[in-house]
Amino acid sequence: MNELREVARTLLTDGTVRVIIGWEDARRGARPVFVTDPAGADKLIFDTRCVHNLVTYLNPRRDNVAELGKIGLVVKGCDAKAVAGLLREAQLTRDDIVLIGVRCGGVLEEAELPEAAPLSPENVAPRCYGCDNREPELVDHLLGESQPEPPRPVMTIDERVAALDGQALEERWAFWTEQFSKCVRCYACRQVCPLCVCERCVVEKSRPQWIEASPHPRGNLSWNITRALHLAGRCVDCGECERFCPVGIPLSLVNRKLQQIVGERYGYTVSDDPETPAPIGDYRLDDKQEFIK
Amino acid sequence: MTNAAPTRETYFISDDDLRALTAELLGAGTEVIAPVAVDVCASPSAIASSACLRPGVAPVDIEYRALADAAELDLSRGLPVLSLKQYFLPEHEALCSWRQHGTEVEIEAVPTEFAPRVVLAAKPCDSAALAVVDKVMNWDYQDELWNGRREATTIVNLACPVVDESCFCTAVGTAPDDAKGADALLTPVEGGYLMEATTDKGRALVEAHGARFTAETGASGAEQRGRQAAEERAAARVRVVANLEIDAESVRDWIDTHFEDPLLAALGVRCNGCGACSSVCPTCHCFDIVDEEEGIGKGTRRRCWDTCQAPTFTLHASGHNPRDSQNPRYRQRINHKFSIYPLKFGEVLCTGCGRCTRVCHAGQDLVEILQAIDIAARRPEPVVVGAEPAGS
Amino acid sequence: MNIYQPQLTLVTAITEETADTLTLRLEFKDQALRDSFDFHAGQFGEYSVFGAGESTFCIASAPTRKGFIECSFKAVGKVTSELREVNVGDTVGFRGPYGNWFPVDDWKGKDVVFIAGGIGLAPVRCVIWNVLDRREEFGDVTIIYGARSVGDLVYKRELEEWASRSDVKIVTTVDPGGQTPEWTGEVGYVTPVVEATAPQAQNAVAVLCGPPIVVKLTLPVLDKLGFADEAIFTTLENRMKCGLGKCGRCNIGPVYVCKDGPVFTAAQLKELPAEF
Repeated sequence: MNELREVARTLLTDGTVRVIIGWEDARRGARPVFVTDPAGADKLIFDTRCVHNLVTYLNPRRDNVAELGKIGLVVKGCDAKAVAGLLREAQLTRDDIVLIGVRCGGVLEEAELPEAAPLSPENVAPRCYGCDNREPELVDHLLGESQPEPPRPVMTIDERVAALDGQALEERWAFWTEQFSKCVRCYACRQVCPLCVCERCVVEKSRPQWIEASPHPRGNLSWNITRALHLAGRCVDCGECERFCPVGIPLSLVNRKLQQIVGERYGYTVSDDPETPAPIGDYRLDDKQEFIK
Repeated sequence: MTNAAPTRETYFISDDDLRALTAELLGAGTEVIAPVAVDVCASPSAIASSACLRPGVAPVDIEYRALADAAELDLSRGLPVLSLKQYFLPEHEALCSWRQHGTEVEIEAVPTEFAPRVVLAAKPCDSAALAVVDKVMNWDYQDELWNGRREATTIVNLACPVVDESCFCTAVGTAPDDAKGADALLTPVEGGYLMEATTDKGRALVEAHGARFTAETGASGAEQRGRQAAEERAAARVRVVANLEIDAESVRDWIDTHFEDPLLAALGVRCNGCGACSSVCPTCHCFDIVDEEEGIGKGTRRRCWDTCQAPTFTLHASGHNPRDSQNPRYRQRINHKFSIYPLKFGEVLCTGCGRCTRVCHAGQDLVEILQAIDIAARRPEPVVVGAEPAGS
Repeated sequence: MNIYQPQLTLVTAITEETADTLTLRLEFKDQALRDSFDFHAGQFGEYSVFGAGESTFCIASAPTRKGFIECSFKAVGKVTSELREVNVGDTVGFRGPYGNWFPVDDWKGKDVVFIAGGIGLAPVRCVIWNVLDRREEFGDVTIIYGARSVGDLVYKRELEEWASRSDVKIVTTVDPGGQTPEWTGEVGYVTPVVEATAPQAQNAVAVLCGPPIVVKLTLPVLDKLGFADEAIFTTLENRMKCGLGKCGRCNIGPVYVCKDGPVFTAAQLKELPAEF
């Protein structure tokens, strides 16, 4: 943590960046912080409560963040993958950002705890299991000590997806209809997603109205499935959409399922190497296309 | 009896009698809305939440639901995830529908009268919110859909022990044992509850189920129960007052005169503009109106929940957006709730339930924000040397 | 009938004011309503195409003329694009009249100066008609109207009518470059034309409506001419949905544009935050 604070302080003092975006400890637990004064670097923390994917603050639509000046962003491995996604899609230029990587051994499911708890199968965020990027490479600084692998959760996301897949179609339909009936169309999932950066989201288009705006099950199904499809091959599994959903829809299951399909069909897994092209935005002559009749 | 000057007569109702009362209401075909403990894992599939898989932890969400059975009534006094708002201003609601043949259009009206129903064990912050929103819903134009539901509903509050450190109802004009917006108040005592009806509707409920209630006047043990109730309620007030104390009027005036102050202008930097706060908030009522076609020549005009936190809330057809970054949008939220609405209607558009703070995973903390504004409001204005003294 | 349920109107006439601006004349289908409908100059309504939604326009006809209402609009979005496609005999929904109005009765005995730019003439036309229908109650009437080009001038027929009246002074102008060889009016932006026309401010009121930039630049000119802020009236536009003060969308600072407006004096405008 001291290392992080030192690096942050230096970057601010020598003017390399104008703001450091990291995590701080507040009344209700860990939360994002924007440090512009070198003295504020002491607020920065990194512990198992630092769940937030701060890359969402790099969204080009966030004028109020951009106006703070050049950003130094603290990133875990999963977060770095999101940065790579933005670079791949030319939403960001590498020189415009300083990335401060932290070695990570996994995070908790929630940030709002008075103290950081050590990880166990019961409290670890299921998405951390099997993480392939605990020492992010797409960074300008890499801090912290080497961390052990995150513990295996009681049930992994893949196991939960498999359990759903194992059910009959009617049961799966009933499950998702019930889940999407809860949706109130707050768009928290979209707002917090680091890769939902469209200047004008498809749901806001009214000519024609592709997706109904009302939060009835028909409109909700339309919205949630469209968003999932628009993230296929791009989602980095940060789990923020699910964490932010105020009504508890298990969105990570949908995203993981699509990730599996993309992996099978295009041999692609999301990484933090921006040079590796993603299936969306890259055409290969040997791309499977048996669905074109 | 009903024509006598209303007195706040107190009754005792036992735990069993309260459930029996619920069963009576249900048996008569009356809709009863109450907190229900929902086992998150009883969904069709046990993979609904990874929380289901933790040994020894039974994740339970409390939700206001229409009871199917009196046994579902949850009296643990936990905070329901969503407020009562959805029962008075539904997430989506038909305003009218139409059928069109050629150039002829027929409009089908929607009902504005509703079957009588009862809310039991409501959180005082949720009921108080209804009274606050009543003001805008009756500002010159009467919103019959809202009013119709309000008129049809008898609300019985259950005094609240204070949920946690994010509650602050007393800072914004209500209290954990208030009956504002409701028709009666239940306070837990040994063996049951003390019941006070505060409106004619509340009194009518007591009268209709008189066998369940015993009047406390002259009853044995009444003094002891009265003291218990008073202690319980006073202790709750002390707890919530400790969470936040502000001078709501000076906060209101400070916001009104410090629109450009950096304290207000930079509150939104952490905010994602997701509007989760608006959806869980009992007083947020902004809505959108959309036409939805449901076949050739027919459709429904609906209103649905909307939020000033959404980027397109104020987007004009010309493309101009007066609030085009999260900072002015977040400022609007604070401004509307704590200054504009109170100046217009005399009520803070917030009842301190704390849901917004709990649901915001970006760390926006209304207790912290109000505290900061309160401090700024109490700070004496800087004196400019050489300026004319006021009034000269 | 609940307050969100629209009345039905029939389109009885369509005028293409410019390439992109249309005026619709509407009559209420319900006979009783057609006869009894009343409103004040400056009020607006929510006009709808069933299936597309509602859109907010001022009522562009005058309350002194009964039996019909008119609205003028540019096709810029979903609903206005559908409205653009209606034919005579089609049904349009209407809710209103909403909002406050120009306090025309307070202007008795005063000179009235109308200044408008582009489609801003729509709300002003309503109050011009209203004043002209009660002409003897007012002093001098001056109209200064400008648009980007000759093609962009709206209510061309009315402009001619007003020009032919001896009890009205009217100056029309187009932006430099917007004139045609036949154009006999002024050439110049509205603001300098107002300055040159120099309407006198003593015992006068000004009604000013147009694109924000026209309003912003013309207010100081009126100030210089001696118009008090309380004597200058304008209408504000803001995104609206319900039109009657419930949905929260049009809230700017301490006002709801649909209830406390849309007509505001320059004095009231100055109280509102510059950015909302």
